[in-house]
Amino acid sequence: MSRALLRSALELRTPITRLPPPFLLPIPIRSRANALAVAPAAAAATARFFNQTTQIVDPPIASSILADAGRTPTQPPTAPAPAAAPVAGISKISAALSTQIPQPPPPARTSTEPLSESVRTLLPLLAAQPGHYATAHIHGRPYLVTAGDLVRLPFKMPGVAPGDVLRLTRATAVGSRDFTLTGAPWVDERVFECRAVVLGTESEPMRVLIKKKRRQRRAKRVESKHRFTVLRISELRICGEVVAA
Amino acid sequence: MGVKAVHRITTGRNGLGAFILQCKKMDFHYCDWAGSSKGMNGFIKSILPKFAAAHPQIEFTVSPRPSKHPVITGHYINGRDKAICVRNLEPLQILKKVELLRDASGEKLKKVTKPVQSINESVRGIWSPYHGNGMRV
Repeated sequence: MSRALLRSALELRTPITRLPPPFLLPIPIRSRANALAVAPAAAAATARFFNQTTQIVDPPIASSILADAGRTPTQPPTAPAPAAAPVAGISKISAALSTQIPQPPPPARTSTEPLSESVRTLLPLLAAQPGHYATAHIHGRPYLVTAGDLVRLPFKMPGVAPGDVLRLTRATAVGSRDFTLTGAPWVDERVFECRAVVLGTESEPMRVLIKKKRRQRRAKRVESKHRFTVLRISELRICGEVVAA
Repeated sequence: MGVKAVHRITTGRNGLGAFILQCKKMDFHYCDWAGSSKGMNGFIKSILPKFAAAHPQIEFTVSPRPSKHPVITGHYINGRDKAICVRNLEPLQILKKVELLRDASGEKLKKVTKPVQSINESVRGIWSPYHGNGMRV
């Protein structure tokens, strides 16, 4: 009888009940859930609950991919959970954020500098052309994408669930058939809008490597199977109207 | 003479307009007696109700399968299914497997070398030596 009681008590130790009270958590859970529910991917908002790692949201300077579309600029940045491992390629921020220091809300991402004269004259022409492409960078790697493309990232993005919408704001080039806007190094974020939907996680067939030395009978079998996040570029738009503003 | 399939004109691109989760159904099989189902029984009691409530787009079925190892099967929109044996796993390890089934597309695993797949036409067109200003040799 007591053993059965103990077992049922052990089984009930879900990660939810083991969490400290909400005021001790580094993430404001309630406000985060509300902000995500505003996003079009409302179904995935509750699914985030089960992820052990939170979305890694970069500070404005060292970012390569950007936050959820549902995040408003006024919302304070969410620090990663203690379990969140630093992602390769953004080591600059991982050291700063892992100390769990509450930070002030970031400034608006869009810079207020006026666009240059050539951009102001040629951007409406670029926006008027039918097809567009962008060389979007995610964690330092370039992907030449058009709307509707499937991107299989070479890593598993932590803290995203299927249906989440990411906005890609780092691009080195945006263009159409006759015009290309090249950034130095990045194209201004006001000029284009590129969004991607997280489709899920894919895997590859198991890789098997047999390690064998000569004149030794021992053979070591090394297996590896990586996981990859798959994105669909749902939107790529050139904002020609920023010139008028 | 069997039924002829309707010729498909367009290709589905999930996420371009609406996003549809590819996993449509999950089956959970457990055994009340066997020790390898211990973690699975705990998972079904404690974690599965919340997970199922968080995913209204997936159909969940739980059924006993006496004197067999516990198995989770995911059924996908493309008609395929994926089965994972979760014998002797803890409830949190089983949650990882369930998330794997949820995130999977149901396709066969294959090696992909090019990161971007596109069916759009090339935006800038194909280079031709006979157009433009020509090339000085």
